[in-house]
Amino acid sequence: MGKFITGKLLQYFIVIFLMLTLNFLLPRLMPGNPLVFLAGEDVGFMSSAEKDAILDKYGLNDSILEQYGTYIKNIFTGDFGYSYQQKRPISELLMERLPWTMLLTGLGLVLSTVIGVMFGAISAWRRGTNTDANLLTVFMFLSAMPSFWVGMILVSIFSAQLGWLPVFGAESAWSNYTGMDRFIDIGKHLILPLATLILISVTSTFMIMRYSMLNVLGEDYIMMAKAKGVKEKVIKYKHAMRNALLPVATVFMLSLGFTLGGATVIETVFAYPGVGRLMFESVLSRDYPLIQATFLIITFSVVIANFLADLIYPLLDPKVGSRNG
Amino acid sequence: MVNSRWKKYWQVLTSNNIGLFGLILLVIFLLIAILAPILAPFDPTDRVGAPFTKPNGQFLLGTNDVGQDILSELLYGTRISLLIGVIAAFISILLGCLVGIVSGYYGGKVDAFLMRLVDLVLVIPFLPLMILLAAFIGPSFWNIVLVISLISWASPARVIRSQVLTLKTKGYVEAAKSIGTNIKVILARHILPGVIPIALSQFVLAASHSILIEASLSFLGLGDPFTKSWGTILYYAQARGAFLTDAWIWWVLPPGLLITTLVIGFAFTGYSLEEILNPRLRKER
Repeated sequence: MGKFITGKLLQYFIVIFLMLTLNFLLPRLMPGNPLVFLAGEDVGFMSSAEKDAILDKYGLNDSILEQYGTYIKNIFTGDFGYSYQQKRPISELLMERLPWTMLLTGLGLVLSTVIGVMFGAISAWRRGTNTDANLLTVFMFLSAMPSFWVGMILVSIFSAQLGWLPVFGAESAWSNYTGMDRFIDIGKHLILPLATLILISVTSTFMIMRYSMLNVLGEDYIMMAKAKGVKEKVIKYKHAMRNALLPVATVFMLSLGFTLGGATVIETVFAYPGVGRLMFESVLSRDYPLIQATFLIITFSVVIANFLADLIYPLLDPKVGSRNG
Repeated sequence: MVNSRWKKYWQVLTSNNIGLFGLILLVIFLLIAILAPILAPFDPTDRVGAPFTKPNGQFLLGTNDVGQDILSELLYGTRISLLIGVIAAFISILLGCLVGIVSGYYGGKVDAFLMRLVDLVLVIPFLPLMILLAAFIGPSFWNIVLVISLISWASPARVIRSQVLTLKTKGYVEAAKSIGTNIKVILARHILPGVIPIALSQFVLAASHSILIEASLSFLGLGDPFTKSWGTILYYAQARGAFLTDAWIWWVLPPGLLITTLVIGFAFTGYSLEEILNPRLRKER
């Protein structure tokens, strides 16, 4: 158990180290003026004193190793640099956007897992029937649709044509809602992006749950329970589903990265003020330090969530827990 | 012997409804891509009508914000989406095969190192990484292909490794090894023929992923600005607010349906190939 966690921890450190290094090298290796990548394309309009100030701030006149040291130190003290386009420190921007992304992806992950598990279990329980075949087809189609397009279609139907839900944003601007009203307003804005995120990420859980449940249903103890005359409901929920859930936990971890990536695109469609939208905005304005910072924060989130899942996993699976004592 | 094996695969593939359906879809798209200049009523880069024209007899799907025929754009877009998907998938499977075969065949420290690398790559949130890379190296056809294939080799590598591990324990491989057969000969004559079918099914699945990824990148404005893919068309539809007007029916709906159908074509073919190659999945009733 201890060994398992240490190995994982080392692996995550390497991931973070590699991504930090990539981030450090990208602006310095690309052809052209690294100043453009660090301070944005306004560099051309800056006075030489301003340029010197930036060169100095990033220590671009130091040796590459010294620069690297400064860079790492800054990141770990929460200094992600300065967005010259938005004229604000990047860490401030990130803090503003992070809660919205966490709300969207957190709810999205939980709901898509619940829905995927439910339908996966139904599909496996009725394998070979029409229900099973139809569910499989529907979920295959869902996973083949581009996420942003699903979002656009939902907005077209429910916002533009029917006028039931707001078109974009996370809450109404200039409304000054408080308390319950604000809660409802945020909820209304959340429905469509959340639905999109669930629609595109539910298939992996469904597939794994179905497959895992099929395996469990083939086990001897299920046959035994059936032979003993245990009620169908008890077999289904107590024996089969519980045991089939284990692989789902693994997929839950792996789908974190996917969901956050999907959220990047979905937030863009709905102009939802999360980190993903911030990344898109920074791509549009070629605000390179901000692109890098958003990428880093997403990577950090994925790694941290993966690690948390690793900590929880042994509690679910006794085999992992006992392997190394 | 090899020939008859492929014949058998072909028979199972075409006797399987899902596989056949997928294959037919792929052939249709291939034909559209090849025949685009004949099928398309206009040159997709020409401004042939008034901007934002509604569908009519002349422009079946209307025109876009600069007066280009949307139908022609879609037909030509098939080429880009198909080409990027196939090339990116090919490169990533090539990388995946290389890593998988080396890892599976040599085992030991090489294997441990390479599989760690695979684990690392799988943790990285791939779409944000692609956005980062695409933003820095600039949008172009080959850059997109490069970015997609650099990230997507990892999970095929793992699948191929496990296939090599199975093959390695087969009697004929051990026999060849024991009589001192050259390693190149073993790899070429005994390992590769067993790997290629798996690689093929992985390739088809990778192509379906690549097409979706390309669409996302293009939608975020990171696609090649000179060649309009379906994702690029949706990028402009979004930028001009088409999805908030009636134009969603002819400007937003069709490109997405095409992407979905093409991805389904690849996915169905891929899944049934997998079923053929993995007899355990076949007809377990």
